Formats: sequence, C-alpha cells, structure tokens
Amino acid sequence: MDSALIGTWLAALLTLGIMSFIYKDNLYYKVCEAIFIGISAGYWFITYFWDSLYRKAWVGIVHQGDYILLGGVILGAMMLTRLFGKIGWIARWPLAFIVGATAGLKMMVYFTTNAMAQVHGTVNDMMAAFSGGDLYDLIGRLVILIGTVTGLIYFYFSKEHKGVFGGVAKVGTWFLMITFGASFGYTVMSRMSLLLGRIDFLLTDWLKLVK
Amino acid sequence: MIALLRIAKSVVFISSLLFVMSILPTHSVYSQDAGPSVSDLGSITVRAHDTDNDAGGAITVEWDDPGYEKLAGFVGFLIWRTNTLAGTNDSVEVTPFGTRTYDDRSVSDDSTYSYSVAALVNGERLMSAPSVQVRSSKQWFDGRLTWVLILGLIICGAVIYFIESAKRGTKLFLRRIAGLEAIDEAVGRATEMGRPILFVAGIQDMDDVQTIAGLTILGSIARTVAEYDTKINMPVRASLVMTAARETIKQAYITAGRPDAYNDDMVHYVTDEQFGFVAAVDGIMVRERPAACFFLGAFFAESLIMAETGNSIGAIQVAGTAMPAQLPFFVAACDYTLIGEELFAASAYLSEEPRQLGSLKGADVGKAIAMIVILVGVIATTIASAWNSESMLWIENLLRQMFSTG
Amino acid sequence: MKRQIPMLILSAVGTLLVVSVFIPSARHWQEDASLYFDIIAVFAFFLGGGNLIRVHTEKVNRKSAGWIYSVVTLLGFGIMLVAGLFKIGNPGGIAGDISQTGSYFQLLFQYVMSPLNSTMYALLAFYVASASYRAFRAKNTEATILLVAAFVILLGRTALGVLLTNWIPAQLSVLQIPNLAIWIMNAPNLAGQRAIMIGISLGVISMSLRLLLGIERSYLGGDN
Repeated sequence: MDSALIGTWLAALLTLGIMSFIYKDNLYYKVCEAIFIGISAGYWFITYFWDSLYRKAWVGIVHQGDYILLGGVILGAMMLTRLFGKIGWIARWPLAFIVGATAGLKMMVYFTTNAMAQVHGTVNDMMAAFSGGDLYDLIGRLVILIGTVTGLIYFYFSKEHKGVFGGVAKVGTWFLMITFGASFGYTVMSRMSLLLGRIDFLLTDWLKLVK
Repeated sequence: MIALLRIAKSVVFISSLLFVMSILPTHSVYSQDAGPSVSDLGSITVRAHDTDNDAGGAITVEWDDPGYEKLAGFVGFLIWRTNTLAGTNDSVEVTPFGTRTYDDRSVSDDSTYSYSVAALVNGERLMSAPSVQVRSSKQWFDGRLTWVLILGLIICGAVIYFIESAKRGTKLFLRRIAGLEAIDEAVGRATEMGRPILFVAGIQDMDDVQTIAGLTILGSIARTVAEYDTKINMPVRASLVMTAARETIKQAYITAGRPDAYNDDMVHYVTDEQFGFVAAVDGIMVRERPAACFFLGAFFAESLIMAETGNSIGAIQVAGTAMPAQLPFFVAACDYTLIGEELFAASAYLSEEPRQLGSLKGADVGKAIAMIVILVGVIATTIASAWNSESMLWIENLLRQMFSTG
Repeated sequence: MKRQIPMLILSAVGTLLVVSVFIPSARHWQEDASLYFDIIAVFAFFLGGGNLIRVHTEKVNRKSAGWIYSVVTLLGFGIMLVAGLFKIGNPGGIAGDISQTGSYFQLLFQYVMSPLNSTMYALLAFYVASASYRAFRAKNTEATILLVAAFVILLGRTALGVLLTNWIPAQLSVLQIPNLAIWIMNAPNLAGQRAIMIGISLGVISMSLRLLLGIERSYLGGDN
C-alpha cells in the first residue's frame, strides 16, 4: 500500500483529533495529544543526540581536536549527578554556568539593540523631520517622540502615577494600547490563514474534493 | 573626379565606423562617451593599514581610482600581496565595480606585507606601485564600542549605587504594580477552592533571560504556595528549566519550613516541541482545572492558546512577558499582565529585599537618561535647523555618535 | 559551600562574557559558551526524558486515571527513539543524515508531527476570534483605544477598508483606512514599541546585575 496514502490518512485523522478540542476535551483529542507528546519528545531527543552530542561534541573533540568542548561535556556530565541524591548539588555548577552566560551575554545584546538603537532611532527621526520632511512627516515624528517619552514615563517605578506625572503616564498607557491593538489587528489575518491551510489540506490532499 | 571619389570614400569609411561603434556592446556601467584612454590616466595610489578593532590577522587595503573603472573593457581591481618575510607573492582577490577598499583576512600577525592594486582592462594588468609594508595586530579594545562602555558603566553604576544605598537602609519608594499584588490573592483563591495552581515559565530554555526572570518569580510564588499548602503543577518544555525549577521550589519549601511537603513531581518535563507542550498544558488545564494560572517568561504564538484555555476554565490568570508581539494577547485574555520590564522587576518587588528594590531605581536612572537624551536631541535639532547654530549641530552629531551601535 | 561555588562560577562567567563584547580577540568565547550550552542541554535531556518515562510508567503501573494515554505516549517516544537512533529505513544507513527522505524518522515527522503542529497552530484562528470578542467589549478608555487601533489595522489590510473610506478627498487621504493603518503602524505603534523595548533592556540589565552580584539566587537552591 502506498505510504503516502497511509500518511495522508494518518495526518488527516490527527488533524481532526486536535481540532475536536475546540468543541471540548474528549478521548480522540487525548489520544492525539499523547501521540504528539511521545513522538515530539522522541524527535527532539534524537535531533539533539545526533546534532549536539555526536556532531558537535564527539566529532568536534575526537575528529577535529577541538578540546575546548571537553569543558561542555564535563559540565553536561555534572548535570547527571542530579540522579544521585547525595551528590545532586553538583548539578548546580553547570546551571550556574548557563545562568551566568545568559546574564552576561543578554545584558549587552539587549543594551545595544533595545536601548541604544531605539534611542538613536528616536533622535534620528526628529533630525530627519527637520531636514526635508513635510508637515505630515513632522507630525508623525512628533507623535513618535511623545509616545516614546510618555511610554517610558509609564514604566518609571520610582514615582506614583498621580497628578501631572500620572496624567503623562496615562498618555503613555494610551500609546501602549495603540501598540497592542496594532499588533492584535496585524496578526488576526495571519491566524485565519493558518486555519485555511489545514482546511485546504483536508479538502484537497485527503478528501480530494477540491483540485 | 579623384577628389570626389576620395571624399566619398572618407564619408563611407566614417559612416561605417560610426555605425559599428553604435552597435558595439558596452563593458562598463558608465556611459561610453569618448572618455580618457589608458595612457591619459595616472597610476593607482594604494594605502594599507592594520584593520581596526579586530582580533588580528587582517589588513585593510584602500586605493584611489584615477578613472580606470570608466574605461571600456574594465573588469575589476586585482589585489596583489607580497609577504616580505617569506618573499612570496599572491593574488588575493578581484574586487567588483565600485569597490575602493578590501579587508584581507588571510594574513599572519608574524609577517609584514605590502600590497599593489592592478586595474584589469582588456586583458591587461595595470599595476600600481606597492604600498608601504604593514603588519596586522590585534586590538585589545573595540574603539567603536567606547560609548556603549561609557553609557553601560553609567547605568550599571547607578544600579550598584542604589543597591548599596538600600543596603545602608535608605528607604526607596516604588509604585504599585497591580499584577504582582494579585499573586497572593490568586494563590489564596486556589487554596480555598482546593485546586492547584499552574505555573508556566515560558517555553524557552535557560539561555533566555525571560525564563530566568520567570524562575525568580517562581521562587516567591513557591514560598506562598508552601505556606498555604497549595498544590503547584509546573509543566516545562526544557529539561534544564526542570532542574532549575526543582531547585527553586525545593528551596522555597525549605525556607517555609515544610521540606517534607516538597515533591519532585511538582515540576515535570513534557516535550521540547512548542505545540506539543501547549497541547499538554491545555490538557492539564481542562482536566485538573487549576484555580490560578501564571504565565511568566518567553512565549510565542502559543500564548493565546494557553491564555484562552485558562479563561475558559475560569482561572485567575497573571501573565508577564518581554515579547512585544505576545503582550496584546495576554492583555486581552488574562486578568493581569506584567508588561516587558515589569516581568524583570517582579522578583525584586515580591522579595521586598532592599538590595533588589535598589536595582530597580538604577533602571529608572537609565530611563531618565534615555528621556533626557531624546529631549535634548529634539531641542538641539530644532534650534540647529531654525538658526543654523554650530553648537547645536555639534550636540546633534555628538548624540548621533553616542548612540550609534555600528 | 554548595551555593558559594556556583555563585562564583556564575559571576565569573557572566563578567567574562560581558568583557568579551569589548575585546575583539575574546569574542569567540560567546560562540564557545553557546556550544557549551548545546552540549549541556543534551545531557539535561537525559534527565527530562528519564522523567517523562518515569512519570508515565508510574501512571501505567498504578493504573491511575488516564493511564492508557501514558501507554500511547511511551509507545510514541519509544518508536521515535528506535527509528532515530538506529536510523531505520535511512537510505544512507547509520552514517546518513537523520532526516533523509524515506527514513522512518522523517516519515514520522512528516505524517505525524508536522500535521499535529500545524493543526495546533491553526487553532489560533478560533482562539483569536474568542479573544477579540471579549477584548472588544470596550469597557474603558484603554480597551476602546485598543479596539479602534486593532480594527483600523485589520480593515486596512482588506478590500473592505478601501471601500469604506475611498470617498475621502485626496487632501485628507491620511484618514483613508489603509493610509491610516500605515500611519498607525509607523508612528504611535512604533513609539509604544520603542518605549517597551527600552524598558525591557533596562530591566534585563538590572536583573542581570542582580544575578552577577549574587543578590538573586533562588534557582541555585540552598546549602543542603
């Protein structure tokens, strides 16, 4: 029997099983969920095994002589001490390594791309508005300026949102609401198209009702 | 008669020549007028220097083109390298149109090199004189990041100052955040109803700072859970998060004086697959019906699925993420949402420890700097364009330079 | 002691990686740290996978509620492990790439995992509709602003949006829904995004410093 045909039927039945959750939790969905968890957990274990453990660690150390990776293997082995109650505390060392690395790296990445680049962009926008932009452009850039500053005031922790400060923070809240509304509206259509994609699979590939 | 013939021959010859020239394809992107010939052009001037702000092993070659690129038959510039120590010559690269600089990253810091650049025209190599000898070296500091360092030190300094200030007993005021005040209420509600709480620390691994933020908040929530003797269910997507979360909750139970009540199964691994994890979380929500759901960490598209399912079971939901694209869905579906920075501030708020609260004041200094810079930049630009003020132009350029990350 | 050494490791590693950003010859430390993370994560997976097997096996042994689904999960996990570890049906054999066309591993991915993934993702269409219904009841000023902005952006990407406001004269063309949608994305939306992103970066800095200075340490456990 054609494996593609079996596969299509299997895919279609699993699709309907997941969709049944919209109605309510049921046996069919539970079976599909269990299959999903088991298969996907296995998939990722195999991917990590061949990709990270074999290709990066084993090949890197044994075949390419990249002995620096031995440090990673040692730290990884320390993780496994968690299985042994008495020496399980050793697993905190690789954990500390990862948290430290994350904190150190992300601090600089976020500072340059989120903070500095955004301040640079805001200042640049105003400079561009004054050198050659029309009135419509200038108004837009003023809105960006006001929105950015009032939004920052909303996030200010050291002062209660009362009086004039509170009023300005309120304006910041409104800008944030516009941001959220814009994001929401922007993604609605793309979410609908995902559903259309699955319905298309069911009608075209499975039932062959549509050519 | 002969003169007439001569004139006629000349006219025919010139016309043919013009006709042939008009249908010949051009080799250059520039217009093919009767420009200079090779002999009219001077030689190429080549300069070479150690590449700036690198780890060594690179030399930058720059050259001026007296007009070779405009010639018909021009193909490119050939970079020619001489290793003066080894006494070898190599052709390194042929650069495309419009290029006047090249970084040679295949040199050694132990040798000196000189470079020549040849214009390739109609199969000929028109070589320049060699540049001075140059050696590559590594720089200990990337000069382009000077302002990043200065501004970073100012903000870190402010954070450390306020931490020390708090340690000395200075009272620090911080405004309320509604979502954090609701946490105790949510856990209390779950205890009264005899139902568990569900905690999801995002779907990313420990290499995402939002996951760490979620786990630090988990520490505070777990202490409350331990004190109230509420059940906590924490499915995780990443095995490392499972290990860290177990340490966190175990310590919380020990601190609350209830170490025997802790069970490793409170935190359980599900799957690394994003939507497989969501399917499992949804299943937990509709079957165990937790009274409170906490979604604190990094989320992607699955945020709405989890939040809506939690809404459908009537759970009180507190969410927090620094993913701007997911915030609208949490705001729409959850009772309380920690927006961006509030997620990172939450653990400090909940701990009520002065040193942690001090770090938040330092972050406020950063915000104040950002606002001042933006406003100064705007004022400087306005005055500079209205009155052509030199000093305001200087401020404008300084600000641009300071915050440029390139 | 059980806490001190991890804290020292954390502070040292974090500080070195911050410094590496500024020193060109030390930038490769970042890639090395990333490789270390990948390798550690694989070892950690043995703990996670082991936990998965233990939890579901216990459920089956105790015949707890829903134990039959645990059997399904364990079967799925086992089948995928065997298919992947021994590269069964792989045209290139054990030496070939794991996701080669025709291998059982790749077939399971294509006909089981992929449709399940796509369908869960597609459920968002239903959830976004229900979230919209609830969010757009406009109980206060903030909700109204969110509602109006979302509607303008939504309509601005459809033919209906063009039809509704194409009667507006050219001098006021910015009020036509598609143009208004573009302006909202480029002006107030951008402003809000910038404020959020600047706030996030400062929050990350403050939290990272708390971690590096050892002020925040709940995830490291205690001295036990």
